[in-house]
Amino acid sequence: MFLRILRHEWSTLRADATLWVVAGVFAVAIGYGVWNGVRWVEFQTRALAGAAAEEQERYDGLRQRVDDIVKTGGQVSPFADPRSPSNVGGRLGPRYAMLPPGPLAPLAIGQSDLLPYYFRISTDSRENILAATEIENPQRLLVGRFDLAFVVIFLYPLLILAVTYNMLSAEKEQGTLALVLSQPVALRTIVTGKITLRAMVLVGTVLVCSGVALALGGVDLASPGIGLRLLLWAGAVAVYGAFWFSLAALVASFGRGSATSATILASAWLVLVVMLPSLFNLAVTTIYPVPSRVEMVQAMREASDDASAEGSKLLASYYEDHPELATGDAEQAMTDFNMIRVAVNDDVERRVRPVVARYEQQIVAQQAAIDGLRFLSPAVLMQEALNDLAGTGTARHRHFVAQVDRFHAEWRGYFTPLIFQRAQVTSFDDVPRFAFEEEATGAIARRVGVSLAGLALPAALMGLFGVSRLRRYPVVG
Amino acid sequence: MLEATNLTKHYNGVTALDSLTLTVEPGEVFCLLGANGAGKTTTINLFLNFIAPTSGTAAINGIDVVQQPLETKKYVAYIPETVMLYRNLTGLENLEYFAALAGRPDYTRDQLLGFFQEVGLAGDAADRRVGTYSKGMRQKVGIAIAIAKGARSLLLDEPTSGLDPKASNEFSDLLKRMSDSGVAVLMATHDLFRAKESGTRVGIMKHGTLVAVHGTDEFGHADLERLYLQYMHD
Ligand SMILES: Nc1ncnc2c1ncn2[C@@H]1O[C@H](COP(=O)(O)OP(=O)(O)O)[C@@H](O)[C@H]1O
Ligand SMILES: [Mg+2]
Repeated sequence: MFLRILRHEWSTLRADATLWVVAGVFAVAIGYGVWNGVRWVEFQTRALAGAAAEEQERYDGLRQRVDDIVKTGGQVSPFADPRSPSNVGGRLGPRYAMLPPGPLAPLAIGQSDLLPYYFRISTDSRENILAATEIENPQRLLVGRFDLAFVVIFLYPLLILAVTYNMLSAEKEQGTLALVLSQPVALRTIVTGKITLRAMVLVGTVLVCSGVALALGGVDLASPGIGLRLLLWAGAVAVYGAFWFSLAALVASFGRGSATSATILASAWLVLVVMLPSLFNLAVTTIYPVPSRVEMVQAMREASDDASAEGSKLLASYYEDHPELATGDAEQAMTDFNMIRVAVNDDVERRVRPVVARYEQQIVAQQAAIDGLRFLSPAVLMQEALNDLAGTGTARHRHFVAQVDRFHAEWRGYFTPLIFQRAQVTSFDDVPRFAFEEEATGAIARRVGVSLAGLALPAALMGLFGVSRLRRYPVVG
Repeated sequence: MLEATNLTKHYNGVTALDSLTLTVEPGEVFCLLGANGAGKTTTINLFLNFIAPTSGTAAINGIDVVQQPLETKKYVAYIPETVMLYRNLTGLENLEYFAALAGRPDYTRDQLLGFFQEVGLAGDAADRRVGTYSKGMRQKVGIAIAIAKGARSLLLDEPTSGLDPKASNEFSDLLKRMSDSGVAVLMATHDLFRAKESGTRVGIMKHGTLVAVHGTDEFGHADLERLYLQYMHD
């Protein structure tokens, strides 16, 4: 019986122009979204490859120059000496710390076009390194890019509503409902059949298209945890769809006319998908304002000027903090330009730290607020979940920055002793390299799982309530 | 068999149907007469459990329609004023779907075409979209669905309103055939002539109350009209 209802729904839906318009719009939108995602990932990949090539070329050049100097035994200015640890760690030999595109990056651009995905690591202060790339407000929630995630979050609910808003009211208005319900079949069986068929068509379309996107986007299907990510992606699409189908079922159970149902559902979409996310965004940025970039840059410049002026005094106190670096030659130790620079950078960092800390605290507070508020909007929940799965969300980026911090410390730990020992860089192969370590899939699965539960619960409640209300559906009048 | 016992329906204090007690036996054609708003549709909708009774019971085959709505609907067929079908499907597809919902998913195409023939629908109509059907044809599909279902009771709500005399006559013949085969028929109608022709009993409703019940063999056509108007006056 149920299968017969599905088949019937398919025949009537197929004969209706709505489905084809919806399917057409959907296919075009998905295609365009995927294309955008793939293009963005290609762009990033090219940029990273460019940076890697630049680094390689620079290091080749350094090796060449060292060879030349050794061969000719010529003199070099200490400021251009490719063997000086201060030069290599500073201007000449920075290496890139790179965040590769997320495992499912072509599916959701997420925050990846707002957050820097590579840093040039040197002995310079942390803030100068991080500030060298633009970091706009990373908490921006509204999708700025037309990618598959955008299609899924914004368009997919609209299309679901377009094929479900009148699933009952139309039959009532056409008069077929009375004839159907004069047969030994429960209204909830009919409604379940209608929703199942529509869900199969729409959810299936999104999943198939995501698959095509993966194939086109060159996603590495061998990368660890990819299976779980894909599974969760499919689950997210299904659960998000279930939310909207349940909402449609609930509204249908009110027994209102097609026009009224359409108005109610369109308003719900507008509030949940468009208004709440921007309202949350406004709220968190108002409650937890981030210090402006200008303020940060100003603070850094001042700290830099102040520190430079106090040069040798800073070095003296630096020795107090790092007695292990002290060498025998006291006079030289107090005037070496490179050592002073180490101390100055260290001091700049200390001075800027409060401003940076405030900035980072606010970002963390914003993120925490969003993490709580997301349960009020299925769109925000879904956005966060898809970004997490794609590897283009804020969590993976924070994970990256933490690794960059560690790498920066490692970098300094390598060069500082060489500078103080007045040693030379003997092998460029020993200069530390950065390797991004992917987030643990388990942690992602947990976060996404919570989001999906946050979608599934209201979906289940609305669905059950709607179906139970169908018992009192006004078949006539 | 259709049975109403003290069946009552109020709408916000307005009595649409007041203590209707009525039994329609197999082979009977009971015609409900009455002005617009008398409570005829309310009666039929109560039997279909489309609306809940305020008090009293409606039963089909001795089973309460409120307690076991799905069970009772196995034995009853419904033909509204205009049988509304899925416009984008053919007549045969419609018949096949409704028969399947009715619990008969097993008919072959030939059998389904047989039902079409039985109700006098031309063979080529079966494969045409219902959107192109006349009202008379739709009503016949309604009967075909009832026959395919093998329903033992039939509820009709002004099924011949708006039909031309020939179509109306054909429809009445079909009804006669069903009742001859032992179907219990309850039909709301304004057509006194048809009621006298094809009914076995007539009941006159007024303001929700069944005020009179007569056998159609008790009087002639003119008598029935006079009787009806008399009840409508006072
Ligand atoms: N949904 C409803 N709400 C309020 N009153 C109704 C409703 N349906 C019918 N009625 C009232 O019940 C009475 C009986 O209506 P109905 O059974 O449709 O009459 P008939 O079919 O004999 O013309 C009428 O007064 C009508 O206005
Ligand atoms: Mg009526």
